[in-house]
Amino acid sequence: MTNILAEAATQLGSISGSIQGGLGCLGAAVGVALVGMKTVEAAGRNPGAFGKIMVLGILGMALAEAVAFYALFLGK
Amino acid sequence: MTHKQVGKFFKVSVVAALIQSATASTACASEVKGERIFDILGLPVTNSMLTTWIFTLVIILLFRLLILRGAKLVPSAGQQIIEAIVDSMRSIFEPLMGKKAFSGAFPLLLGFFSYILIMNWSGLLPGVGSVGEEQIAHVSAATAAQYQAEGFKASESAGEMTKFIPYLRPANTDLNTTLALAIISFSAWIYFVGRGVGLKGFIKDTFGNKADPKDIAKPIYLSLFAVFFAVGCIDLISIAMRLLSLSFRLFGNSFGGEILLENMYRLAGELPQWISWIIPLPFFLLEMLIGLIQAFLFALLTAVYIGLLTGMGHEEQHE
Repeated sequence: MTNILAEAATQLGSISGSIQGGLGCLGAAVGVALVGMKTVEAAGRNPGAFGKIMVLGILGMALAEAVAFYALFLGK
Repeated sequence: MTHKQVGKFFKVSVVAALIQSATASTACASEVKGERIFDILGLPVTNSMLTTWIFTLVIILLFRLLILRGAKLVPSAGQQIIEAIVDSMRSIFEPLMGKKAFSGAFPLLLGFFSYILIMNWSGLLPGVGSVGEEQIAHVSAATAAQYQAEGFKASESAGEMTKFIPYLRPANTDLNTTLALAIISFSAWIYFVGRGVGLKGFIKDTFGNKADPKDIAKPIYLSLFAVFFAVGCIDLISIAMRLLSLSFRLFGNSFGGEILLENMYRLAGELPQWISWIIPLPFFLLEMLIGLIQAFLFALLTAVYIGLLTGMGHEEQHE
């Protein structure tokens, strides 16, 4: 494991390109986190509606997550 | 692949794959498409197709075995499992889609769910992705880059590159499979929307002016037609992008999961053998969760896309 870390450290200078992939994944991560936060808040306010809220939460997370895949696969 | 000078050697990683206790080594290829294994009547058969056939058979046999003696009023244990799945799916999808479209599309949604679930979980079994053969290509300096682009790696001896080709590759790590699923979902959307609201209803819903003329002044109401038309054009683009997002989401999640497992497995290789299984273990649980969520999500998104147009009565509270 230490070998791999050392190898990664020596190759830091050769980072290049794929900035759009990193930024896209960052945006998707923030989006998923926001959806998750609000879903938990909503479930806390109204525990009876947990099932409906969970479906909406998963849906919102999926739509936010799709941005990461656009950035990874469509960007060059 | 066969038109090139490639020798094949059976790789005895069977024993290794079975001995490495709970962990299935996922020697996953770094390619988007599956690798060709053999031909049937001139048509190439890839390793992901082979996995699809085997595990489709497993699904059919499993469901047959669970309801072996036919459905009864007092359900057997197996029938109860199936009924629980169907009932919970029904309670989620029915309010989204409206009764009419739901009764038509429900078998398709259940099919999506069970198919994708089994295909996702099949990647975690030992033997899937870890039993295969090693291809050795004799390369020169000129063709090395071409082979490297196909996933070949340099081996110890000079002038040779090797590539590990598993006999079974999880079906959803092949972009062809997920694209096919997305096309089926999209065709179903066209069919059910066409049957439910028709072309006229679709155009009215996409481009039509949704403002109430009693509420606002006439010039503003007329100018809103242009706004709603522009929104409709953006809507059309996003509908076309559904094909991409459905296939990429499923492919990216399962392919990324395979690579994650492989890397964790490699990280664990430096630890002593008796403890090394502990590093990939949490990620196997994560992959089981992700496989379930993605299978559910594919069915859910198909239902929502259809339901946005057919489930008018329930649309407001969900949007």
